[in-house]
Amino acid sequence: MSFWFWHGLRNGIQSTRYPHAPETAPGVTPGRPVDTQFSSAEEAAEAAAVCPTGAIHAESARAVVDLRKCIWCQRCRFGCPRPLHWETSHTWAAGSAARGAASPLGSPFGHSLHVMVVDAGDCGACLNEVKQLNNPLYNIHRLGIFFTPTPRAADVLLVVGPVSENMKGPLLKTYEAMPEPKRVLAAGTCAITGGVFGRSFMSHGGVPSVLPVDLEIPGDPPPPLAILDALLLTAGRAKHSTLSNPETAPSPDHGPRLVKLP
Amino acid sequence: MLLTLVPLILVFVLCGAGALLGFVLPERRTPALTALCGSLAAAMALLAGANVLYGSPFSGQLWTIEPLGTLAVSLDRLSAFFLIVAAVVILASSIFSASYLKRYAGHHSLRAFNAGYLLLIAAIVLILIADDVLSFLLAWEAMSILCYLLVNFEHLRDGSSQAAYLMLATGEAGFIAVEFVFVFLAIKAGSLEFGQLKTALAGLGPAARWGIFLATFFGFSTKTGLVPLNSWLPRAHPAAPANVSAILSGTILNLGFYGFIRVNFDLVPTGTTGTGVVVLVVGTVSALVGILYATAEGDLKALLAHSSIENMGVIAIGVGAALIFAASQLPVLAGMAFIAAFYHMLNHSLYKSLLFLGAGVVDERTGTRDLDKLGGLIRLMPYTAGLFLIGALAISAVPPFNGFVSEWLTFEMLLRSVELPSTSLRLLFALCGAGLALTAALAVTCFVKAFAMGFLGVSRSEAASCASKAHKTEIAPMALLAVLCLLLGLLPTYVIPVLDQSLSPRIDPHTVQALVPPFFAPAAASTELPPAFLADFHNLGAQLGQRILPGRGLVLLHRGGAENPVIFAMSPSYAFAALVLLLFLAWLVFARLARTRKLARNELWAGGIPKLLPEMVYTATGFSNPVRVVFDAVFRPAIIESKRETVAVHFRTAILRRRQDIYLVDRLFFLPLAALLRWIAGQFARMHHGRLNAYVTYAVGFLLFVLLLGLYS
Amino acid sequence: MTVSPPPPAQQRMFDTTALATEVARRFGTAVTRTSENGGAASWFVVEDRSALVPLCRFLFSEAGCGFAGMIVEERNEWNLRYLFLNPGCGWVYCILRLPLSTRTVPSISVPVHPADWYEREAEDLFGLTFQGHPRLGDFVLHDQVWQEGLTPMRKAFDAGQTQFELRPQQDWRPTLVVQDPGAFAMPVGPVYEGGIGESVHFLLETVGEDVIRAVPRLFYNYRGVEKIAEGKSLWDVLLLAERFSAKSAFAHSLAYCQAVETALHLETPPRARHLRVALSELERLRHHAGVINGICRSTALAVSESHAAIIEEKLLRASAAFSGHRYLFGLNTPGGLRRDFDSEATSALLRSVDDALQLLERLEQRLSYSSSFLDRLEDVGVVSPASARHLNLLGPVGRASGLRRDVRRVCPYSGYQHFQFQVAHEEEGDGYARLRVLFAEARQSASLIHQAIETLEPGPLCADPVPIRAAAALGWVEAPIGAAGHWVSFGRDGTIERYRILSPSFRNWMGLHVAVEDFAFQDFPIILSTFGLSATECDR
Ligand code: SF4
Repeated sequence: MSFWFWHGLRNGIQSTRYPHAPETAPGVTPGRPVDTQFSSAEEAAEAAAVCPTGAIHAESARAVVDLRKCIWCQRCRFGCPRPLHWETSHTWAAGSAARGAASPLGSPFGHSLHVMVVDAGDCGACLNEVKQLNNPLYNIHRLGIFFTPTPRAADVLLVVGPVSENMKGPLLKTYEAMPEPKRVLAAGTCAITGGVFGRSFMSHGGVPSVLPVDLEIPGDPPPPLAILDALLLTAGRAKHSTLSNPETAPSPDHGPRLVKLP
Repeated sequence: MLLTLVPLILVFVLCGAGALLGFVLPERRTPALTALCGSLAAAMALLAGANVLYGSPFSGQLWTIEPLGTLAVSLDRLSAFFLIVAAVVILASSIFSASYLKRYAGHHSLRAFNAGYLLLIAAIVLILIADDVLSFLLAWEAMSILCYLLVNFEHLRDGSSQAAYLMLATGEAGFIAVEFVFVFLAIKAGSLEFGQLKTALAGLGPAARWGIFLATFFGFSTKTGLVPLNSWLPRAHPAAPANVSAILSGTILNLGFYGFIRVNFDLVPTGTTGTGVVVLVVGTVSALVGILYATAEGDLKALLAHSSIENMGVIAIGVGAALIFAASQLPVLAGMAFIAAFYHMLNHSLYKSLLFLGAGVVDERTGTRDLDKLGGLIRLMPYTAGLFLIGALAISAVPPFNGFVSEWLTFEMLLRSVELPSTSLRLLFALCGAGLALTAALAVTCFVKAFAMGFLGVSRSEAASCASKAHKTEIAPMALLAVLCLLLGLLPTYVIPVLDQSLSPRIDPHTVQALVPPFFAPAAASTELPPAFLADFHNLGAQLGQRILPGRGLVLLHRGGAENPVIFAMSPSYAFAALVLLLFLAWLVFARLARTRKLARNELWAGGIPKLLPEMVYTATGFSNPVRVVFDAVFRPAIIESKRETVAVHFRTAILRRRQDIYLVDRLFFLPLAALLRWIAGQFARMHHGRLNAYVTYAVGFLLFVLLLGLYS
Repeated sequence: MTVSPPPPAQQRMFDTTALATEVARRFGTAVTRTSENGGAASWFVVEDRSALVPLCRFLFSEAGCGFAGMIVEERNEWNLRYLFLNPGCGWVYCILRLPLSTRTVPSISVPVHPADWYEREAEDLFGLTFQGHPRLGDFVLHDQVWQEGLTPMRKAFDAGQTQFELRPQQDWRPTLVVQDPGAFAMPVGPVYEGGIGESVHFLLETVGEDVIRAVPRLFYNYRGVEKIAEGKSLWDVLLLAERFSAKSAFAHSLAYCQAVETALHLETPPRARHLRVALSELERLRHHAGVINGICRSTALAVSESHAAIIEEKLLRASAAFSGHRYLFGLNTPGGLRRDFDSEATSALLRSVDDALQLLERLEQRLSYSSSFLDRLEDVGVVSPASARHLNLLGPVGRASGLRRDVRRVCPYSGYQHFQFQVAHEEEGDGYARLRVLFAEARQSASLIHQAIETLEPGPLCADPVPIRAAAALGWVEAPIGAAGHWVSFGRDGTIERYRILSPSFRNWMGLHVAVEDFAFQDFPIILSTFGLSATECDR
C-alpha cells in the first residue's frame, strides 16, 4: 500500500498555474465564437442563419454573438459557408443581464469561498466540469475555494441545468438555507436561458426565472477554467485582461458585461 | 424525643385514617385524599428523620409478647437517612397523584389504590423504625404484598398480573432467606431485639458470618434488583402506575440496601474482603447489564427500570468497595466509599423518581411509552421536557447535577485501590473501574436516546403529536425533585457531612475531615490543615466565600499523607459559578453581535425535500441499534418472525424481521433453572406408574429412612 | 437474503423464421406477423389483447429474448411497441394497437420484470393503467409537486405551456416496505454529496446501522425531452439527443442519427462510420475513466482518485483538441459527420489515447495490489447472474454479472462487425467485478480506436441529402452505460412526431435495488459508484 505514497510523490505537482500564469494546454477550453466582421450585411445574415438558438444576429456586416444563448453546437464553426471567428479564451463569465454588475463577496471570502453546487436538471456536462475543478490539474483548494455538502456553510450557490420543475423546490430550499451574504452563479447556457430545453412545462428556462442570479457563465458546458474564473470574480480576486481588450470584448448591448471590480 | 415520636405516630394515624376515609368519601375525591394524606405523612416522616439526624436517636419499646420477646422501635441516624430519602420521594409522588390518578377514575377502584398506597407508606416507615426481628419481618412482608397489589393495579392490562406476580415470588424467595437468618440470629441470641442481637452475636465465627452474609445478600438483593435477581424489575415498573414506580424505584430498592447494611454492618459485621468482592463483582455486572438493556430498550418506563438496575449496581460497587477497604484496615477509604454509595443512593432516588414521574406524564398525555412512537414533545409539554432533561442530565452524571458528584466519588474510590495490599484486589478494582466507565458512557447514550427520542424532533405518531400540557400538581413535585438534583450537585460539601453523620459511628470519624477540609473555618482554628497546603488552596480561591457562607468550605478533596497532600480535588460549586459567569460573558458577546447581525431562522436542512416526514427520522430503535450490534453477544436476539413478501414474484411489498431478546438473566439463570426443575420433576414423575404395591414400598421406605435418621441423631 | 428469481424455463435458440413459426403455432391468429418494416426484424401484431402477456412471457422466458423497452405512441389509436432483443434473430417487436378511448392495458411486468418501470412511466405520462401492475403512481411526476391525472405525453398537452396550476398532493407518504419494529427511511438527497452529485433522492430503509433496502427516487432531472422534441425539426432534435445526457452525448447522438438514417434510407459513407466508431470508443474510454474515478473516490483512496481524475481530464482535453468540444458535441449529423479530421489530428488523438491507456493500466495494476481498496469492493453490492438476467441489466454492470450482452456484437452497427474486440465479462457480479469490466472495456476501446483510425480511408464524410418522409425507425448503440435505443418517428410534415429514448441508465437504476439490500451504510456510495449510473440519462 505504501506505493501510493511514492506514486503521489513521483508524479509531482501537476496543477495549472492559472490564474497566476495563463493556461494554454490544448483542449482546456473549447473556445468560443466571437463577433465577426463580414464584408457585407448579407454575408453576416447568412452566418447568423445557421445558429439553431438565435445566438448570432447580424448588425450590418457584423455577426454578433450572444454567448448567453450559444449552445456550442459548432454549426457556425464547421461545415458552414460563413464560419465565425472562434477564439480560445475561457474568461467569459459576466454579470447577470437582469441584475447588472454584481459586487464580489469581498475580502473575508477571498481565500475561503465555500461553494454549493446544485444540479437542477443538468445534462451532466456542466456538473462534470465543476467536478473537474477538484481534479489535481485544477486543484481549486489551492485557491481557497471549497465545495461544501451543506448550504448552511455555503457562500456561493452554483446552479447547473435549466431548473426542472421537480428540482425547483429543492433549489429554492437550498437557496433559502444559505446564510447571507450569498451569491448565485448560473453555470452553463441551460442555466442562463434554458439552452436546448428552453422554457416548457417541465423546464423553467434558466435560473434567472426562479432566483436572482449574480453571475452567468455561458458555455455548453463552460470549461473548468471558465467556472474557476467566475468563482474568482465572485471572491473578488480575478483580474480580467482578456475581456477588457477592446478587440475581443463583445459589444456592450448583446454580449456579456464585465463585472465591476472593486 | 417528642418531636420524633409525635410525627411518627402521626404518620401511622394519617395513613390509617386516610385508608379508611377513602372508603367513605365519594370516589372522585379519592385522588385528593391520597395526595393529602400521603404528602402529610411524608412531611411528618421527614420531620422525624430530620430531628433524629440533627438531634438524638429515638428508641422505644412497644410491648412484650410473652414467649417471643420484646417488640421495639427505634430511629437511629442510619434509618433516619433512609427515612428522609423515602419521605422526599413519597412527598413528590403523593402530590403527583392528585391529578395523575384521575386517569384511572371510573374503570379502576381508586379506593383500593388509596388504601394500598397509604398502607405502603406506613409499611415503609415501619420497616425503617423496626428494632426487632418480628416487626421488621412483618413490616417487610406487608410491604411486599402491598407492592404486589399496587403493581397489579392495572390488572387488566397485558402482562401486568404476571409482572406483579413475578415480583412477589422473587421477593418471597428472598424473604424466606432473610427470615431464616433472622430466626437463626434470634435463636442464637435468645432475643428479638436488634440491640441485644448485636451484643450477643459479637463472637460469631467467620463461617457463620459468611453464611449470614450470603443469605442476606441474596435475600435483600431480590428487592435491590441486583443481577441475577432482577428479572421482575423491568417488568414490574412499566406495569405499575407512575407514582408507584417512583416509590418502587426511589424507596423500595433502597430498603434492600437498608436491610443488607443493617445486618451486615450493624448486627453482624462481615469483616472479610471476600464478602466485599462478591458485592463489588455483582454490582459491576448489574451496572453493565442494567445499562446495556436500558440503552436497547424502547419502552420509556422499562428503560428507566433497567437503568435502576444499573444505579443499584453502582451503589453496590460503592458498598462492596467499602467492605473491602474496611476489611483491609483502610477505615477512611471505607468511609468515603460508603459516603459515595449513600450519596449515589440519595441521588438515584431523586432523579429516578423525577424521571418516572416525567415518564408517567408522557404516558398519561400520549397514551404510549414506546419511544419509537414519541418525539417532538418538547413543543407540546415544555415544562415536562425541561424537568425530564434535568433528570436525564443528572442520571447521565453531567455536572452541575448530583449524579456527577456521586459517580465521580465512586470512581475516585475505585482508583484508590492502589492502597490495597493485594495485587489481585487491585486488578479487580481496575476491572470494575473499567466496567463502571463503560457503564457511565452507555448511560449518556441511553439518556440522550430517552430524551431526544421522546421530546425532540418530529412526532412519530398521532398520539405524540396531540399531547397536552401537564397539570400543575404534576409539574410541582417534578420541579421539587429537579431543584434537589441541582442543589445536591452544587453543594456536595454540605451533603457529605450529613451523610457522614448518618453513617457514624459505623465509619471512621476522620472521613469527613479527609473529604471536606475546613477551608471556611477561621484561619486560627484550622489547625488541621498544614499552613503550606492552606496557602496553596488559598491562592486557588478555595476560601472564597469564607465568613459569608456557613459550613466547612466548597471544595471536595481527598487529603493523603505528607508526600501526597492532595489525591483528588474538585468543587462543583465554584465550577458552577465559573460556568455561569462564562455563559453570561458569552451571552454578552452574543448580544452585542446580535445587535449588528441579523439572526436568521430557517427550516431544518434535509437535502432539499419538501418536508421531513415522521417516517424519515431516527427512531429510538435505530438510535440504539449500533449498541445492539456491538453487544450482540450479550443480547443474542432471537428472530421470532421473519418474512419477505413479494407480489408477482419480484415486487417486494414487505420485509419484516421481528426480534425478541430473552433477558440475559432469564436466559442464563432462570430458564436453565426452570428446565432443571422440570427435569427433576420429570424424574419423579416416573415413580407415578399407578401400581399400588410400589407406592406402599415408597411409604415404607421413607418411614424407615426417617426412623433411621431419628435413631442416628 | 434476496428474493431469488424463478429459474429460467427451458430456452431454445431461434432464428427469424423459426421464431415466426413458433409464434404462429402457439398463438394462431391472435398474433400476426407484419411486413411493415420490410422484413428486417420480427414484428408481431397482437390482435387479441389477451395474447399479449403470454406472448411476452414466451419471448422473455422461453425464446431467450431480452426486454429492451416499451414505446407508447398516440396516433389515431394507441400504439404500444414492446421491444425485445434476441441474440439469434435481432430485434423483436410486439405491437399492441388499442382504440384511443382505452385506458387500461394488460401489464406484462409480472412475467417480464424489466418492463416494470416502463409501465410505471407510461402510466404517469400517458395516463394508461396497466392492469396487474402492483405499484403505479408517483413516478416521473412527483406527487409532492404534481397532481394526479396530468398526462403530459398526450398529444393534447401543450409542452410549451409554462403557466398552469400545480396542485401538489400534500399528504404524500413514501411507500415503505421494511416493517421491522423501529424501522425508518433515512432520506438522502436530492441535494447531497458535496453538491457535485446528480439530483437523486434515496430512502434508505433501515433500523439503524445496516440498511435493509434502498429505494431511489428519480426524475428530478426530468426535462420532458421526448415531449419537447415533438414537432421539432430533425436538426433540432439532434441537439436534444446530444444534450440530454452529456456523458454519453456521442453515443446518443449516434443512435439518433442511425434511427434517422434507417428511417430515411441514408447510407453513411465508410469514412464517417470509422470515425464514428473511433469517437464512440473515445467517449467510452473517457466515461469509464470517470466511473473509475468515482469508484476510487467512494473508497477514499485519494491518490488513485487523483490519478483517475487526471486521466479523465486528459481525455477530455484530447477530445477537445481533436474535435473542438470536450464532450464531442456537434459532430454527428444524420448521414455522417459534420467535419473531417486530418491525419495530424488523428495521430495526435492516438498518442493521447495511448498515454491515457498507459496511465489507466498503471492504475489498474496498483489498485489490484491495494488490499484496503479491494476489501471495500469485493463482495459488495453483489448482483447474481440470475438476478442480472432476470432484470436484464445492461452494459458493464450486466457484463460483470455474467451477461455477455453487447449490441456491438449482437446487432452490429456502424461497421463494428469489421473490428476485432472482445466483450469483457465477469461472473462474480460484485463491485470489483464491475471495476475489472470497466478496465477491460477501456482497453478494448483503445484498441478499437486504433483499428478504426488505422483503417481510415479517404472519402466522403456525409451522405447526400434525401427528402424527409413519414417513417419510423429505431437506432441503437452500445452507449458507455449500456445499450441505448432511440426511436424516431417522422410525421407527414417532416417534423418529429414521436421521439423515444430507451436509455440504459433507466434500466440499471431499476435493477439497482437488488444490489442495495442488507448492506452496511458505509458501502452505499461504493455500490452506487460501481454502478456508474447517470440520473440525467435515466430521467431525460
Ligand atoms: S456555436 Fe453557438 S453561436 Fe455558433 S451556431 Fe452554435 S449556438 Fe450559434
